[in-house]
Amino acid sequence: MEIKYTIQGLLIYLAIAGYMLAFVTTLLRRPKMGHLLYLVGFVISALSYAYRWYDVRHVPLQNLFEVFLFLGAFSYPVSWFCRRFLRIAGQCADVLIAVLVLVPAGFVFSAKAQQLPPALQSWLFAPHVAVYMLSYIFMAKATVQAGAQLVCMTYNSDEKFISAEEATYRMVCVGFPLLTLGLVLGSWWGKLAWGDYWGWDPKESWSLASWLVYVGYLHFRYMFGKKHSRINSIWVITGMVVIVITLLWVNLTRLFAGLHSYAT
Amino acid sequence: MRKLKRMLMWAGLVLILLLIFLSVYGAFIGAERARAFFNSLPLAVYWSALTLTLMVGIIAFRRLIRVPGLLLIHLGCILVLAGGIWGSEAVDKLRDKILSIDTIRAGRMAIFEGAVENRVTLQGSDQVKQLPFHVKLKDFRLEYYEPGNLLIQSRQGKHWKVPAEVGAKFSLGDDIGKLKILKIFENFKIKIEGDERVAYDAVGPGSNPAVEVQIEPPDGEVATKYVFERFPGRVHPEDKIAFRYERVVREYISELQITRDNEVVAEKDVQVNDPLHFGGYHFYQNSYDAESGRYTILMVVSDTGLNLVYGGYLMLCVGVFWHFWIRHLFVSVKAKLA
Repeated sequence: MEIKYTIQGLLIYLAIAGYMLAFVTTLLRRPKMGHLLYLVGFVISALSYAYRWYDVRHVPLQNLFEVFLFLGAFSYPVSWFCRRFLRIAGQCADVLIAVLVLVPAGFVFSAKAQQLPPALQSWLFAPHVAVYMLSYIFMAKATVQAGAQLVCMTYNSDEKFISAEEATYRMVCVGFPLLTLGLVLGSWWGKLAWGDYWGWDPKESWSLASWLVYVGYLHFRYMFGKKHSRINSIWVITGMVVIVITLLWVNLTRLFAGLHSYAT
Repeated sequence: MRKLKRMLMWAGLVLILLLIFLSVYGAFIGAERARAFFNSLPLAVYWSALTLTLMVGIIAFRRLIRVPGLLLIHLGCILVLAGGIWGSEAVDKLRDKILSIDTIRAGRMAIFEGAVENRVTLQGSDQVKQLPFHVKLKDFRLEYYEPGNLLIQSRQGKHWKVPAEVGAKFSLGDDIGKLKILKIFENFKIKIEGDERVAYDAVGPGSNPAVEVQIEPPDGEVATKYVFERFPGRVHPEDKIAFRYERVVREYISELQITRDNEVVAEKDVQVNDPLHFGGYHFYQNSYDAESGRYTILMVVSDTGLNLVYGGYLMLCVGVFWHFWIRHLFVSVKAKLA
């Protein structure tokens, strides 16, 4: 546990507090107030990310601390986009996801600033990681919808929102191109930096596995539609499990030592 | 036909599931063994089966031809697989046997500054092959982030990290006193002038980075110390503090020239993320002489199959974005206009 007695830490803790208040307020059926607090949490979270950017003087996506800050800051825009354009509910879960990603950034991961090693000094660094992280937010939202569908939870009775099964599918359809782009950009970068577009490094293998799980989901859903909606949900939840392993386990254990170790 | 389509879909799904499990297995056994595993004969059968299923799928499912996004996605996957197979070790050996095309798949070459070289030691063996042209290393240099850092530790376990900038002053508390950075050396040497030993920055080969620091303890007796990057941790019993000087490498740069028949045909400063491409090979900055920086080690990789893979990537990306994003945008814009 690492409590951060810095401006950076203060901003993270304020953002967590804002998000938690938003969560509680939404649970208490005060959606407008909840949304306002979510927005406040987002502004502080974005400030925290901007502060980190200013502090390290490069796009802060180098290690798990910075990546989790990014996830915390971008949870709100993704949630807003989904409500506004895809008619997908779930603000309560979105806020919870934002808290879940900011807590490790605030209390677990080291905020020690690092200079970029030569391998990370590429124009592909920021788009590769950012695109992946954005896709992970969409897939996390899809997982929540899939979970709700699996336990037959009526997520939202509001008619302006679509069903959990349909919402899961839409979220995967939005996140999958980003996941594909992340994979392809990573492969291209691998060729430029290490001489091989695919080296079967553990992180690469796990990221391929996560991409393939969603490929499997899309094919399965094409084959059966909503007939086996529970199996559809299991595909999506499995995808998220593999994503978590790709993002965390590969960097936090020595089991999967490889070329991506600097991201720890 | 309906039955065949059903069978194809199931075959595709089984192949996807199999590849998920194989990828997870590959992650557990590590990159080296995974690379060998995915290039083995049983996996060659798998890759061929996957490619074939995709090709038959495109023929069998009219939707895959009618819907441009889906067609691009599936064709992209076929191209990536084809490029991977074409550039694989097994096909490389086959090409060598049948067509007598002898390429260097991957290897390393060490070149001293000013020297010209065309010998490549093949990856995973001691075998040496020659390139059809020569590579000259004009210069090799390391660039560091400025300034470097001086790490200080007291006997009580206190730590400080201060930037090593000439003239900078720091207070290390009442018991240790003040610290001032006097000089930075790239190649520290000592010479005798009269009865005195004088430190100076030597020009020419060699590298011995060091910092000259002045310590002013509370009792006022000023002392000068040299802290060396490559010889850290020298502490005398009377020392209250230990120093370390560290610099972070920003870039490794090899200035290369490609010569053919004594004529320069290509020239480039090769860095990490910025290889030299010439004659069907990529030359990467791989390693260097850590002692004195007089030679570089380049990795040489053949490009066979690379264009197919990149073409496949492009089609795959355009396909997924078209199918999942852009066409829906068009539909909604059209609907709004209507």
